[in-house]
Amino acid sequence: MTGISIHELGVAFSAKDGRVIAVDGVTQEVPERGFVSIVGPSGCGKSTLLSVIAGLYAPTSGHVEVGGRRVTGPDRAVGVMFQEDSTLPWKTVLENVRFPLQVAKVPKSEQLTRAQQAIDLVGLGGFERRHPAELSGGMRQRVALARTLAMRPSVMLMDEPFAALDQQTRLLLGAEVLRIWRETHQTVLFVTHDISEAILLSQQVWVMSYRPGRIIDVVDVDLPEDRDASVVATPAFNALQNRVWEVLQAESMRGFAQENAVPASGVPAS
Amino acid sequence: MTVRTKPPASRKATALPKARRTVPGLIGAVSIAATVGWIVLGGILAEAGVRAGWWEPDVLPAPSEILPVTAELLRSPDFAPDALRTLQELVFSCLFGVAAGLIVGVGFWKAPGVGRVFEPYLVSFYAVPLVLFYPVSIVLIGINQWSVITLASIMTAVPVVLNTWMGLRSVPPVYLRLAASIRCSPAQTLFRVAMPAAAPYVFAGVRLGVVYALIGTIAMEFTTAQAGLGYQIRYLYESFDAVGMYAYIVVVLGASVLLTAVLEGAERLLLRRRTVR
Repeated sequence: MTGISIHELGVAFSAKDGRVIAVDGVTQEVPERGFVSIVGPSGCGKSTLLSVIAGLYAPTSGHVEVGGRRVTGPDRAVGVMFQEDSTLPWKTVLENVRFPLQVAKVPKSEQLTRAQQAIDLVGLGGFERRHPAELSGGMRQRVALARTLAMRPSVMLMDEPFAALDQQTRLLLGAEVLRIWRETHQTVLFVTHDISEAILLSQQVWVMSYRPGRIIDVVDVDLPEDRDASVVATPAFNALQNRVWEVLQAESMRGFAQENAVPASGVPAS
Repeated sequence: MTVRTKPPASRKATALPKARRTVPGLIGAVSIAATVGWIVLGGILAEAGVRAGWWEPDVLPAPSEILPVTAELLRSPDFAPDALRTLQELVFSCLFGVAAGLIVGVGFWKAPGVGRVFEPYLVSFYAVPLVLFYPVSIVLIGINQWSVITLASIMTAVPVVLNTWMGLRSVPPVYLRLAASIRCSPAQTLFRVAMPAAAPYVFAGVRLGVVYALIGTIAMEFTTAQAGLGYQIRYLYESFDAVGMYAYIVVVLGASVLLTAVLEGAERLLLRRRTVR
């Protein structure tokens, strides 16, 4: 029982131009071992929603349950991966991946085996002693992925982890995430603004609206389980993409208009 | 809602080509050679100037006259007490100043409101020659090493506070969210995430602070003291012993060059292989 259930969740905060409702009345469920993506225009509350599920941010109303337990703060069984480069530059790859295990007081020999396994899983074998400054952006996100995996979380929350990377690297890493998910079968909630990435990776796509952030459409992805990037060329994929885009287009334009009408529109949330 | 900041552009750089990694060592060697070269050139000029009669030997004696006296001074039993006194003052001021600076800097970070109240005063401390308060320090504490240490500690603490605080404020927010997500304790967040991330700033502050301590210590000894290198310089100056005074000045200059080199080496060692921000 490590699914995620979200009950009537609302998050509001005050910004320069008044009260912003980032998340409004969201009630959704991610089944155990499911892979769900959230897409939405930039500035909708998708990252906020993820922060609340991660226990990093308290909701204004409603609550979230992970594995049947109400979220009151960060949980080590819930791994979070961030959009920004979160590798610590003074640590080597191995030290970075080990760090959460040290904090969790995992025995030392186990730390090393688990870190090594995670590093091998993301394809960074041979780079253990390198520092992040010596790695490319894509490799650093692999380090962050390995660090999250080494904790062996039952739930993975990924906040646009590949948004800062170029298209090719993003596709490659997406395929890696899918491969790893098939091996580990964690419950994954993946935030992105890339519709094709969302459809390629997940079993279900939630479309979120611009402020107030509501889930306005839920699209089940009935593509083969063992799909790879070549699925992008199929009519089924196109049909799904069109469906999501139709909903999202109107929202994105509304968000764009609103942001340009009020220049100082609060906190920009990717 | 979390405010996002873009990672600094320098962190986006891809793997450096291997050949470039040997360059810093070479640069170090060149810079040491250049420093030695400048000192030797200055010495030759000073020597030539006295011999050619451009200035009186009383104003700036020939290095050939000063250096033997310096060597003799280093061997003489009179030297150690003064040197130890100055060293002791310097070490204590650095220890107290850096410790206080780190604690206050971290405190300001934890309580940003307090920090904002005190920041203008601290910044203006940069502009105030704190040595001016030495008489006050003497009146309160007496003519002994503690009046020097007290003031030199404050001089050291100011840049350490400001740099520690600035360094901690510029820690990428994502590091702190990472720390929170893996449930770091407040101490772990500070010592294993925030302080290492702020280290380049903190270290720059410590370097400044140590140099301020040296300047302050020598200056205060020079003004009023019963012992110390600064006191000796003042004493020999007042006794018209130019050669003896310059011998002490050479010692102080040597010590400050050594101190700078040690600090720079320590900084390189501490921050090696990390991107320069």
